[in-house]
Amino acid sequence: MAVDRSSAAPERGAAERGLERGLAGHRPAGRWPRGQLHRIGPLVVLGVGVSALVGAAGLALGELTAPGAGLWPFIVALLLTGTGAVLVVVDDPADYEPWTRGTARIAGGLVGLGVFVAAFGAVGFLLPSFLMLLLWLRVFGGERWRWAIGLALAGSVGMYLLFATALGVPFPADVLLIFSRG
Amino acid sequence: MDLLDGISQGFAVALDPINILYVFLGVLIGTVIGVLPGLGPTATIALLLPLTYEIEPSSAVILLAGIYYGSMYGGTITSVLLRLPGEAASVVTTFDGYQMAKQGRAGPALGIAAIGSFAGGILSVIGLILLAPPLAKLAVSFGPPEYVALAGLGILLVTYLGTGSALKSLSMAALGLLLSTVGQDPIAGTTRFTFGQVALYDGLDFVAVAMGLFGVGEILYNLENTEKVRAIKGKIANIWPSGKDLRDSSGAIVRGSVLGFLIGVLPGGGGVVSSLASYALEKRRAKDPSRFGKGAIEGVAGPETANNASSTSAFVPLLTLGIPANVVMALIFGALLIQGITPGPRLIQEHPDVFWGVIASMFIGNLMLLALNIPLVGVFVQILRVRAGILAAFALLITMAGVFSINNDITDMWVVLGFGALGWLMKKTGFEPGPLVLAFVLGPILERAFRQSMLLSGGDLGIFVSRPLSGGIVAAMALIIVFSAVASRRRRRMLGRVTAPVTDTADGDDPAPDPAARAASRGSTSGES
Repeated sequence: MAVDRSSAAPERGAAERGLERGLAGHRPAGRWPRGQLHRIGPLVVLGVGVSALVGAAGLALGELTAPGAGLWPFIVALLLTGTGAVLVVVDDPADYEPWTRGTARIAGGLVGLGVFVAAFGAVGFLLPSFLMLLLWLRVFGGERWRWAIGLALAGSVGMYLLFATALGVPFPADVLLIFSRG
Repeated sequence: MDLLDGISQGFAVALDPINILYVFLGVLIGTVIGVLPGLGPTATIALLLPLTYEIEPSSAVILLAGIYYGSMYGGTITSVLLRLPGEAASVVTTFDGYQMAKQGRAGPALGIAAIGSFAGGILSVIGLILLAPPLAKLAVSFGPPEYVALAGLGILLVTYLGTGSALKSLSMAALGLLLSTVGQDPIAGTTRFTFGQVALYDGLDFVAVAMGLFGVGEILYNLENTEKVRAIKGKIANIWPSGKDLRDSSGAIVRGSVLGFLIGVLPGGGGVVSSLASYALEKRRAKDPSRFGKGAIEGVAGPETANNASSTSAFVPLLTLGIPANVVMALIFGALLIQGITPGPRLIQEHPDVFWGVIASMFIGNLMLLALNIPLVGVFVQILRVRAGILAAFALLITMAGVFSINNDITDMWVVLGFGALGWLMKKTGFEPGPLVLAFVLGPILERAFRQSMLLSGGDLGIFVSRPLSGGIVAAMALIIVFSAVASRRRRRMLGRVTAPVTDTADGDDPAPDPAARAASRGSTSGES
């Protein structure tokens, strides 16, 4: 059963990726360029595990008969450290997707979302949400300017009406509305 | 007698006009997101969690459940027509469903899938009604050691039955357990891992974590990976399967219902595993297995029935034991906790409206789905025209506004954003967020039960094996570990023999001609039984 990947579904999550790998029987090389970079993931896990071990040991461990606050986190952190350590050695590089231009754009989009959250606190909902929608529609959606601006305008105003007006969510004071009221 | 009382009370709840509206909304949203490749049931339910603060507990669960089983229907449509599985459980349907569509039999494929899903859903609801109350009665006698064993089993099965690396899943489950310890110690009240932040004293907010990992994380990941959907051509005619089609698939539907129900009840079961297992079963039973993959109608009917049956029966462990069987159940568990209801053995007694109302709503929801799907398939397909970029932009904005509305606190937005970035990175690096969230939900239960057990036994770990029930569960866990170790070893040895030049990954992706059976065997600790 040949499954040609060009039409074989958008990839969604490692679960399906596993399935599709099974389906396709082959998978375009998805290795990181310089061999060992994939070990960063398990190393991060290991680092978190070790620092949690230290942190948990700092909370009283107690004993099995009278467990202290740190005992359970300590047990869990042991599991995390153990699995992390094994993964550093045995992990399969093919699990790691290559970093592409698309990845960089998503990372940029995340930064954009961060700016949105910060701006939301400072100047309210309308302007930041308009700009955020515009960025996402234009850059990721690849919409034409006309569509992007129209949708962003409709989206930000619509969402404001839904959340702030209809549901009564107290958004931070909106700089645009303050201006318009003089 | 109790049963009839319960059912009639359930219908009284479910037939309330407001709840009918919620069922309808649920199955409609479910179908739509099942069709859309960029948004799955987990992401949608995660994104809608803030909504559940506003509505009655029974309505909230009715809505979320409707989204879950509705998405199972919706996922079929694109699998058959475009070989695009809208959600994971529909991958199997692409094998034969798409072939049927290519032979001009898209109509019957969709029709039989809808009928099978309906049958599976209804039979599974009946099973749920019969099984849940006695199970809940039994569970009332459970002590802390049993809960430790059950929660452990749930986490173990989720890590093993996932399609990713079991070790990585286990590691993420450990991380989830660790994150759940942030905040106050449940017994002594000491603060842990709060780094002096008052906002963390109550622990990380489940909703924010789930919305970040599943909502934002999944949107970002899919945006990077979704390919452009091709234009949809052709009309779908003759949606009703012929008499012969029905005769051919009736056996598969019955077997699929039973199999799906059983797998769904097991912790860790759910859509993907049950549909794969059903496909493998049908293929093994068939007189002429070579028809499979070339448009065999049983290959559509069985898995579709099974995945819908399992998505219903997955409610059994949640509503009776308080153990979520899969990630979607973990989210519904969280939604109930938000409402101040702890799912568990006492749920049926203390909140009969929730328990029976949800069950009755499933009858109604499945009827609605059948009615929606058969005439409206063409309309749903048009939804695919919505471009992924537009969908993502709006979904993200709604998420951000939604999470703010929970506590009117900007900190929550940062938590969502942080976990969104984490979820995206995890998916890119093959770490599954599912076990993390499941463990995060189970963590407090597990810790409390573990510490109580230790107090009970005077620090003797033997308590987990010496009591018959918990001992039995622990034995089952040991069996699963041994079985899967042996199975993976055998698989590797077999691969060693067959391996063609095209070996690519170390975990054994061979170019074998029978991917379904292999994929199934990969996650079949429960599937083969």
